[in-house]
Amino acid sequence: MAQSALLREQARPANRAHESRTMRFVRRHGWSYLFLVPMLALVVPFVIYPLVASVEITLFNWDGIGHPTEYVGIENFVRVAHDPLFWSAFKHTFEYAAVLVPVQLTLALILALVLNNPHLRGATVYRAIYFSPVVTSAALVGIVVSLLLTSLGQPINQELMRLGLIQQPIDWLGSAVFALPTIIVVGIWHTLGYNLVYFLAGLQSIPKDLYEAAAVDGANAWHRFWDVTVPLLREVGAVILFLAILGSLQVFDLVLVMTGGGPYYASEVVSTYIYHFAFTAASVQSQANVGYASAAAFFMGVLVMGLTGLQLLAVALMRRRRTEIIG
Amino acid sequence: MMNLSWRAPVTSVRRASSLLVHVVLIGLGFVYLYPFLWVLASSFKSPGEFFESGLSLRPAVLRWGNYLYAWETGHFSAYFLNTVVVAVGVTALVILISSMAGYVLAKTDVPGKKLILGGMVALMFLPGGYTIIPTFDLVQHLGLLNTLWSIIIVQTAGGLIFNALLFLGYFLTIGKEIEEAARVDGASFPRLYLQIMLPMARPMVATVALFQFMANWNSFWIPLVFTLGNASLRTLAVGMYAFVGANSTGWTYVCAGAVMSILPIMLVFFALQRHFIEAVAGAIKG
Repeated sequence: MAQSALLREQARPANRAHESRTMRFVRRHGWSYLFLVPMLALVVPFVIYPLVASVEITLFNWDGIGHPTEYVGIENFVRVAHDPLFWSAFKHTFEYAAVLVPVQLTLALILALVLNNPHLRGATVYRAIYFSPVVTSAALVGIVVSLLLTSLGQPINQELMRLGLIQQPIDWLGSAVFALPTIIVVGIWHTLGYNLVYFLAGLQSIPKDLYEAAAVDGANAWHRFWDVTVPLLREVGAVILFLAILGSLQVFDLVLVMTGGGPYYASEVVSTYIYHFAFTAASVQSQANVGYASAAAFFMGVLVMGLTGLQLLAVALMRRRRTEIIG
Repeated sequence: MMNLSWRAPVTSVRRASSLLVHVVLIGLGFVYLYPFLWVLASSFKSPGEFFESGLSLRPAVLRWGNYLYAWETGHFSAYFLNTVVVAVGVTALVILISSMAGYVLAKTDVPGKKLILGGMVALMFLPGGYTIIPTFDLVQHLGLLNTLWSIIIVQTAGGLIFNALLFLGYFLTIGKEIEEAARVDGASFPRLYLQIMLPMARPMVATVALFQFMANWNSFWIPLVFTLGNASLRTLAVGMYAFVGANSTGWTYVCAGAVMSILPIMLVFFALQRHFIEAVAGAIKG
């Protein structure tokens, strides 16, 4: 095949040799560049530029209309750092992640272990059902569940009062104490399916003969779980953990549609805080302050990036250890 | 630990525990399906029924009028059309543009390839959600604000890098022989891509199509921000959000709107469920 290509090359008209260097370059790579142009033409202005520009905007006091002119240096950052509402949003974001991630991943792992049993009937049906909310948007799910709570909240309250656990009915989304926990429960429910499928994939990648070898050695089910499953699931588990943390720190849709961050900022998270400052005048400020919102966004972005770096490092370390175990 | 069961003899204890497992799994399945069944049932109820027998899954009569109201008075006809345009448009553009880039990066030695690849990998790990403000500003300056194009372009751009890397990986697995044979037959570069390579990448095209369609059907943040000034451009998710705000009593209409937003994507999912889940599982292994 290489030979026939060579023959074709030689058969080309002789004037090829006189072609300028540029022409030859264009002939050789022209199409390649042309094929890359659409991607670059979209990524450079709409992905790379905003990354750079978002840093610049943080240095201006700007309402988002026209060009930013009022340079204020790091004042926006200072104000963000001194705003108790930002820190409460920050705290809520981490509370959301700190509760959602461990609970959701534990449930997903247990379910994956159960559904991974090759003799369990209907495993694929269960898997599809638990996965189904994932394909709907968090915004829609949030709206549906808020509506459902107007009906469901009442019987739950009656039951809790009957059991003597509460004295007064709880307004699930309207109370400062229960708004965020209610959102967290819905968040756990909504995206559990992803982690279930991830864990199932991880479990299926563990070589079966390792279990058999362990069984021959007389290890019981509990030991096989701790000595085979856990070490070999660690790498996939780290990736799952990483994705779950990143996803939950960026929570926005659920909070916005279920409570709008309320009541009285009781469920405000960083992304809704940014949204309120950048795009609505309905926040404490009488007008949008885009520079200020950008500073808050930048702060959060850097934090998330730092976490990403840490986790990538952890995954790389674990990958090395897994290779050592399997050999 | 579940891998054990097939070794042990079937005893009545085991049978009972297996039954218990199914009871728990079905119970959980109910928790997962109930909200969807509930919204479907509620979308056919009268306002009175909605409040009196709120948890019931059986409406007294099927009030299709709720759908008519949401469709016409609630502007869901426009929201639906906008969502279809955005989801189909972005999906088509992402597949075309990212497969073109993936093909070049996998199959040629174009100068600057390493730089582009390095940049793409770096961008993968930068958080994306916090750059909406300059993006909004740029769209405004380009005069694209208050057009569906703004949503299509921004969401397409956001989907390109990840999917170009997916296509790159796929094209790398296709052997050189076919490509060389086609070139010997005189196929030009674009023909080679369009008539040979892209059809060969059909499984990857299907995966990307599925996930892009789902992501864009459901997207909220970007359509929300880019339609703040023009209600007629809202997509279903954003329209629902606005509809709830505007109809603090018409919950049955809201439910009808929710069904119209959720049902199409749910049908797609249950029809292609195996493919969907395998693609998600594949992502974590890769």
